[in-house]
Amino acid sequence: MTRYVIRRLLQAIPTLLGVSFIAFVFVYNSPGDPILIRTFDPNITQESREILRRQLGLDQHWALQYISWVTGITLRSGQVVQEFERSDTSCTFIAWLNTTSCNNGGGILRGRLGTSIATNQPVWDRIVERMPATLQLGVSALLVSLLIGVPLGVLSAVRQRSIFDASVRVLAVVGNALPSFWMGLMLILLFGVVLGWLPTGGMRTVSLTNEFDLVDRARHLILPTFVLAVGGIALFSRFMRTEILEVIRTDYIRMARAKGVAARNVWFIHALGNALIPLMTTLGPAIFGVLSGAIIVETIFSWPGMGRMTFSAAVQRDYPTVLGAVMFFSVLTIMGNLLSDILYGVVDPRVRLS
Amino acid sequence: MTRKKFSLLAALLAAALVLAACPQPTPVVETVKETVVVTQVVTQTEEVVVTPTPVPPVQGGVWVEGSSADATILNPILASDSASFDVLGWFFPSLLGQDPFSGAIVPTEMAESWDVSEDGLVWTFHLQDGVMWSDGEQVTADDFKFTYDAIGSDLVETPRKANLDNIESIEVLDPLTIQVTYGEVKCDALNNLGLGWLPSHLYAADYSDVMDSPLNETPTVSAGPFIFNEWIRDDNSTVLRNDNYWKGAPHMDGWIYKIVPDPGARLAQLQTGELDLIGVQPEQLTTIQLDSNLSLHKFKDDGYSYIGLNQANPENPQAGQDEEGNLIEQDPHPILSDLAVRQAIAHALDYDAIISRVYLGQGYQIASNVLPAVEWAHDPSLQPYAFDTEKAAQILDDAGWTDSDGDGVRECNGCATAAAGAALTIRLQTNAGNTTREDLGALVQDQLNGIGFDIQFEAIEFGTLVGELLGQTFDMVIIGWTGLGTDPNDDSFWHSKFDTPGSGFNFVSYQNARIDELLEQAVSVPGCATEDRAPFYHEIQQIIHDDIPYVFVTGSVGNTGYSKKFNGINPGPWSFYHNIETWSLAQ
Repeated sequence: MTRYVIRRLLQAIPTLLGVSFIAFVFVYNSPGDPILIRTFDPNITQESREILRRQLGLDQHWALQYISWVTGITLRSGQVVQEFERSDTSCTFIAWLNTTSCNNGGGILRGRLGTSIATNQPVWDRIVERMPATLQLGVSALLVSLLIGVPLGVLSAVRQRSIFDASVRVLAVVGNALPSFWMGLMLILLFGVVLGWLPTGGMRTVSLTNEFDLVDRARHLILPTFVLAVGGIALFSRFMRTEILEVIRTDYIRMARAKGVAARNVWFIHALGNALIPLMTTLGPAIFGVLSGAIIVETIFSWPGMGRMTFSAAVQRDYPTVLGAVMFFSVLTIMGNLLSDILYGVVDPRVRLS
Repeated sequence: MTRKKFSLLAALLAAALVLAACPQPTPVVETVKETVVVTQVVTQTEEVVVTPTPVPPVQGGVWVEGSSADATILNPILASDSASFDVLGWFFPSLLGQDPFSGAIVPTEMAESWDVSEDGLVWTFHLQDGVMWSDGEQVTADDFKFTYDAIGSDLVETPRKANLDNIESIEVLDPLTIQVTYGEVKCDALNNLGLGWLPSHLYAADYSDVMDSPLNETPTVSAGPFIFNEWIRDDNSTVLRNDNYWKGAPHMDGWIYKIVPDPGARLAQLQTGELDLIGVQPEQLTTIQLDSNLSLHKFKDDGYSYIGLNQANPENPQAGQDEEGNLIEQDPHPILSDLAVRQAIAHALDYDAIISRVYLGQGYQIASNVLPAVEWAHDPSLQPYAFDTEKAAQILDDAGWTDSDGDGVRECNGCATAAAGAALTIRLQTNAGNTTREDLGALVQDQLNGIGFDIQFEAIEFGTLVGELLGQTFDMVIIGWTGLGTDPNDDSFWHSKFDTPGSGFNFVSYQNARIDELLEQAVSVPGCATEDRAPFYHEIQQIIHDDIPYVFVTGSVGNTGYSKKFNGINPGPWSFYHNIETWSLAQ
C-alpha cells in the first residue's frame, strides 16, 4: 500500500512536468499580450511598454521564458548584469557565450510559482489567499450534493417507477439543464431582493471591522452552495439509482431476501454498501468538477475564490498566475484520483493496490 | 421502510430552514437601510427656514461602492487600472486638482499656485503648507521629486515612464517649492504631473524597494481624507476617516470598496442597501428610477464609441514614419482606403436607432473627435453624417461599386482602390462579452448589408482583439475610448508617428501631413491660451470629419446609481466624491 502510494506519487512528477510544458506552450502562444492589455492606454508610449516588457522578460522567446519559469534562471545575450541585477536576483556574465545568466532563486523546480504580472504578488501567495474560499464553497457543495443526491437516488430505486421516482428524475434533468448563472441570479432576486432572507453575495457582511461571525458566514454560504450543488445532486441521484437497481438484481441480494433479511437492511446495508463502490471513483473527478464549476458561481455570488482569480488572470494574460493555477489544479487532480483509488481499496477489499 | 430516509431529508431541509430563518445579525449596511426610509430632507429644509444656523452634521455612517473589478496594486506609480486608482486615490496627495464640473486643472490639491516662465518651459509650483502624512511627517516637494524620479529608475517596472517625457529636470527649490523644466512647450504637459505622491520617507532613497515594498499592499500612511484599513483581495477594501485630513476630516466613519463582479448582482445589492453606489448599465436604469431610495447621476462621459476603419492593407502593416520622421507611403486597404466607401458607411448607419436601441438612449451623436465637454475646442457647427441610405447607395454607384451579378453584394466595377470584380466584403470585429458592442455589430452588419456590403461580423475575446487592433491586421473594428480627459490633444490616434504596428494607437494607419502639422502646432502655441489653440482643433475636427478614419457612433453617457443615505452629495461629471468630507448621514 505505502509502496503503491509512493510509486503513484513518483509517477506524478513526469506527468506534472508534461503538464507544465504543454500548459506553458499553450498559454504563451495564445493570442493577446499581457503588456498590451495592461497598457491599452494612449497615454502610455511604446518606449515605456518596451521597457516594461524587457524588465518582465516577456521580450524573450517562449522557450527561454519556459526555462526561466522552470529553473529560475534567465539567459540574456550580452553583458547586461547591471540592468537586471536586483536584491533577489544575482547575475553573472558568461564571456565565452556572450550571455548574462540571472538566477532569481525561483522556478517551479524549486517550488516557486513566480510573481503575478497583474498584482506583483507571489503567485503562491495569491493561491493560498483564495484557496480557503473555494475549498469552503467546494466542500460544502460536495457534501450537500452527496447528502441530498445519494438518499434521493436510493429512494428513487426503492420506489422505482413511482411518482417520487418520476419527480426526482424530472428535477434531476431540470437541475442539470438550468444554467447556474441564471439560477443564481433568480435565487438572488427571490431570496435576497424580494424576500430579503439571505444576503445577495459575498462571503461575509462587509463592514469597517470585518469581524468574524459564524452565523453570518453560514447565511452567505447557503445560496452559492445550493447553486453549485444542484448539478451534483442531479448527478448523484441518477448515479445511485442506476447502481442500486443493478446491485438489487444480483444473486446475493436475492439470497439475503430469501433468508428473510428485513427489507430496510437489504436496501441500506447490502445494496447501498455495494452501490457506493463505483461512487468512490467519481469523487476524485468530482473535486475537480466542483472547482471548475466554481468559476461561474464565484462570479455571480462575488465569492473571492480561485476560480474567479484564474479566470480574470486568463483575461488579463497574467501568465504566471494562470500557470500557477494550472499546476495547482493538476496536483489537486492527481491527488484526487489517487485518493479515489485508495478509497476504492478501502471500500472494496477485493481491490488490491499494488 | 423509507421513513428514515424521509426523516434524513426532513432534517436536512429543516436545517436549511433554520439557517435561513436565523435572526439576522446587524451588519452596518442593513441598519443603514432603515434610516433611509425616513426621508429627512423635509425636516432639514424646515430647519433652514426657522434657524439661520445649520444643524451640526451627523457623524458616522459608511459608504459602500460596488465594483466589478478589484484593485491590483495600491501604489500610484505602479497601478495602471481604474479599480486600483479608485482605492489608492484616497491616500496619496497629488500636485494638481481638477474641477469636478468643468474638468479644468485647478489649484485645489498640493499646488496652491504656480508661475510659468515667459518661454513657457519652466513651471514653479508653490505647495500647501501644513499637509501631513498620517504618521506625522509633512508632505513636501521631496515626495513629489522622489515619486517622479522613481518612475525613471531602472529598478521600477512601471508603464508610467512616459509621464517623464519632455521633462528636463525636476528641482526642489525649498520644501514647499517645486520647479519643473520642460524641453519644449507642450500645452497638455500638466496632465503628466497628476500622479499620486509616494511618502518618500518610507522608501529606500535608491528606489530599490519600490517594487516590493509592503506599502504596495498595505499603504498605511495617508495624506488624504481616508486612511487604509484592510484589503481582502477580490472581496473588499476598507478605509477609515483621516481625522487630520487637511481639508477637514470627513463626517463618515469610512468607505468600503466591495467587489461584485456580476452586474445583476450589483443592482440587487444596491436595492437591498448592501451597496451604496454602482455604475448603472442602460438596461438597469428603469429599476433605479423606480426605487425611491435611490438617486441617479447621469453625465456626459469623456469618451465615445466608434467604428475604426483601417486605411492600410491589413496584410501588410507598415509604420507611418521612417526613423527620420518622413512619411512612409502605406499599402492602401483594398476597400476602406476608398473615401467613397467610408462616406457610404457613414451615411448608411441609422444613428438614432443605434442610440435608442443599442445604447438604450444613453448616448448622443457626435460629428468628430473633440467632445462637446471640451467646450473651448469643440466645433459645434460641424454636423454629424445624416442617415440616408439612398445617398449612401448613390455614392457607391458613382464610385464604381455596383452589384453586377445580382447576388446582393456589390463588386468593384471601375472602383478606385480594389481589383476589378472584387466583392465589397469587409470584416467587422469587436470584443466578445460587451453586449452593447455585439448588438451594435449585428445592427451595423444588417444596415450595411442592406446597401450591398458583405459584412462579416465576429466578436472575439478582448485580449485577442487588442492584438489584432494594435497589430493593424483588422478591417473594421467597433471599440471606444474612455477617459479622454479635458485636453483635446488626441495626437496618439491620428499622428503618423503613432502609426507603429504592434504598439501605436493610430492603428487605423491614418496619414495626413496637414493633421500631423496641426496636432503639433495646437500643443505648442506659446502661452497655451485656449482661444489661441481652438482654431487648430476646429480645423482638425473638420478634416477628421471629412476623411472618416473613424465612423463616430455615439458620445458616451455615464450613469451612476447611488443611495440617498447621505446629505451633501453633489456629483460632477469628473468626480463623484470631490466633496466627500462634507457628506453627512441624512438623519
